[in-house]
Amino acid sequence: MTRTDEITRYLPLTESTYYILLSLVEPLHGYGVMQKVEAISRGTVRLGPGTLYGAFTTLEKDGLIIKVAEQDRRKSYTLTQKGKQVLLAQVERLEIMTGNGQQVRANLLE
Amino acid sequence: MQSQTINKFRWFWAWQDEAEEDWLGEMSAQGYHLQTSHGLGFYTFTCGEPADYTYRLDYLAASKQEAEVYYQLFADAGWEFIGAMAGWQYFRIPTPPGEEPEIYSDPQSKVRKYERLMGSLVIFIPIFIVFFVVWDDALSPYIGVPLILLMVAILLLYTYSMIKIFKRINQLKQY
Repeated sequence: MTRTDEITRYLPLTESTYYILLSLVEPLHGYGVMQKVEAISRGTVRLGPGTLYGAFTTLEKDGLIIKVAEQDRRKSYTLTQKGKQVLLAQVERLEIMTGNGQQVRANLLE
Repeated sequence: MQSQTINKFRWFWAWQDEAEEDWLGEMSAQGYHLQTSHGLGFYTFTCGEPADYTYRLDYLAASKQEAEVYYQLFADAGWEFIGAMAGWQYFRIPTPPGEEPEIYSDPQSKVRKYERLMGSLVIFIPIFIVFFVVWDDALSPYIGVPLILLMVAILLLYTYSMIKIFKRINQLKQY
């Protein structure tokens, strides 16, 4: 399936953005995203609040995420259809990368 | 019971925000904790026990409504908001042993902070243009040499600031 430019222009995603999108498959608010990303990345990605706030602003403006709720000065977001497509496109890209990496690792460890 | 405060003066240029962060951390290590940043180099500190704090400055010009969400996110993440001054947001957090807490966890997002800063400075360019155009035409008899020299000095300083910030942005973009 060929990706349209509308999707591929966002690739490659930074690690931070990739994990933020992963976390927003289900609705979640800012601090929830910070905790989830640290957990699922096994501590390799720890989002700063400045980074996260900026990412939310940009992702919302680009139409990749949408606000679903606001309570007690906390906004919850989730992926839009476009956001899901961008995420899937990035996962495909990463599959190629890790495939190559695993092959090289197997050779190097022989 | 009112705690003692002291006032200090120290000049930091806009591009020296990280040096300012380091200095505020050093002050806390000596027992002086930032209470207010007044601008133009003037600070007020409360006197207390020496403590290990990390200070971080963000640059933001958000609407009142957006600001609430912004501050709540930082609070949730454990950062204490100290105050704002001309768009600069002062935060601190107790430093966990062996760690260096950051509000920007990757260089790409840090770039946007400096781009916002440059965006705010760019607004002065029309003012300079207006000044020098007006100087040429009607007002030359009324504008004395000292004012012209002052404007030239400000323009040079302004240009130097933009260059320094631009260099910092490029440095971050290399990562």
